[in-house]
Amino acid sequence: MSDNKKEAGALGQLYKTFFAKHWPVWVGGIILGTLNILLFAIKSPWGASGGINNWGENLYSILGLFNLEDATPLISSNYGMLCLFLVIGSFIGALFSKEFALRIPPVGELIKGFIGGSLMALGATFGIGCTIGAFFSGMPALSGGAIIFTIGLFLGVIVALKYLMWEMEKFPGFSSGKSYSFFAGTGKKGNWQKWAGWIVLIITLYIAYQYSGNHQVLAWFIIIGMLMGLISQRSRFCIVKAFRDPFMTGESDGSVGVMAGIMIGLIGFTIIKYFGIAVGDVALRTREMTWIFSHFFFRAIIGGFVFGLGMTIAGGCAVGTLWRVGEGQVKLWASALGFLIISPISKLYIVPPIVEMLPASWDFKSYLPDYLGYPGAFALVTVIILIWYVFVKWNEKTGKFSAY
Amino acid sequence: MSQEELQNLVVDKSVDARGTACPGPLLEAKKSIGTIASGEIMEVLSADEGTKRDIPKWANKKGHEYLGTVEDSGYFKIYLKKG
Repeated sequence: MSDNKKEAGALGQLYKTFFAKHWPVWVGGIILGTLNILLFAIKSPWGASGGINNWGENLYSILGLFNLEDATPLISSNYGMLCLFLVIGSFIGALFSKEFALRIPPVGELIKGFIGGSLMALGATFGIGCTIGAFFSGMPALSGGAIIFTIGLFLGVIVALKYLMWEMEKFPGFSSGKSYSFFAGTGKKGNWQKWAGWIVLIITLYIAYQYSGNHQVLAWFIIIGMLMGLISQRSRFCIVKAFRDPFMTGESDGSVGVMAGIMIGLIGFTIIKYFGIAVGDVALRTREMTWIFSHFFFRAIIGGFVFGLGMTIAGGCAVGTLWRVGEGQVKLWASALGFLIISPISKLYIVPPIVEMLPASWDFKSYLPDYLGYPGAFALVTVIILIWYVFVKWNEKTGKFSAY
Repeated sequence: MSQEELQNLVVDKSVDARGTACPGPLLEAKKSIGTIASGEIMEVLSADEGTKRDIPKWANKKGHEYLGTVEDSGYFKIYLKKG
C-alpha cells in the first residue's frame, strides 16, 4: 500500500515537472531542434506553411474551387498531418496543464488575426517558406536564401511593431471591447481537462499506430508533430517573440531559445547532408539540396519581409499560430483561417505573374557549401547566430534598441 | 504576497487586456503604468498565458515591483507597484 503511494507520488512529481510550470524556451528550442533532425533523418525537415497550404487546397477541393480536386488529401499529406497533429499536441499540452480555454477576443483582434494570417500566406508563397521552413530549418540546411529571408523577417517585424505601437496610440479602441472565455480549467473544476488530455493522447497514438502498417513515414510525422505541438505549448516557443522582444522589451529569452534550436539542427543537418544519411533512392546531390529553395535573393527578402509583417500583426508565426490554435486562442484561429484561405490563391494566381516578370536568374538556389565547403558554411551560420546572440544580450543589458 | 493579500489589495488602476493576444497585454501595461504615480498599484487582467512570464520580467527590469498573480476563471490578474 505504502509502495503504491510512493509510486503515485513519483508519477505525480513527474507530471508536475512537465505540466505545472512553463518550460524555459531554450529547453523547448533544443528539443524542437532535435525533433527537426529526426524529421530530416526520416524524410525531410520541419516546415509549416506547406502543411497549412495543404489544408487550404483540401478546403477548395471540397468546395470545387480553383481546380484543386487533385490536391493531396490531408490524410495522405505528411506536412498537412504534421501541422494538424501539432495543433492536437498543443491541445494535449494545454489540457494536461489545465491551460486550455476558448478565448474569444474583440472583433478588432480577429480582423488583425485574419489580416496577419493572410500576409503570412502571401509572404510564404512568394518567399517559398515560412519562419520554420525558410528559417528554423533553412539556416541549419546551410541555405544562403535562409539568411536573406531572415533579414527580411527582421525588417518586417520592426515595421509591424511600429505599426502596433502607432495603432495603440491613435486607435486604442480597435483592439478593445468585450472578450469571452469558455471551458477554462481554473481550480478543481478544471480537472476534467487532464482526463480529456489523456483521451486525446490515446486517440493520437491509436491513429499513428493505424498508419504504421503501410505509411511508416506518416505515422512518425504524426507522432513528431504531436510532440512538437506539446513542446511548443509548454515552452511557449515563439519565433515572433524571438525577433520582436529585443526591439520591444529587450528580453532575450525567446531569441536564445530559437538560437539553441537552430544550433542543434545545424549539427544534425550538416551530418545528414555531409554523409548523405538516409539518402534512399534519391541522388546524394538531391539530399544535399533538401530545403534549399530557389528564392535567393529577391523572393527571400520580400517574402521574409511580408511574412514578418504578418506574423507580428497576428501575434504568431506559422507554428506559433498552430500551437495557439490548440490552446484555444480564437484570434489565432482567424490567423490560421486567413493563412489557409489565401495561401492556395496566392500560389496559383498572385505569385506566378509576379515571378514571370522577374529575371530567371533571380530564381536561384544558394547552397553555402558550394562556395565555402562544409566547414566554411557551418562556421558562417555559427558566426551569424553568435553575432545575433551577442547583440540580444548586449541590447538586453543596455536597452539601446528596445522601445520599452 | 499571499493570494489572499493580493485579492484584498486596493488597486489604483485596473487595465483590462483580456481581449488582446500577445503582446497586447504588455503594450497596455506599459502604456497605463505611465498614468499612475510612484508607489501606486496597478492590476493587469490578461487571458494570454505568456503574459504571466513577460509582464513580471518587464516590470522588474523597469524598476517596478511585481507583487504577484491571481488566477481567475479563464484569465489572471497581475499586480504591480510602480517604482
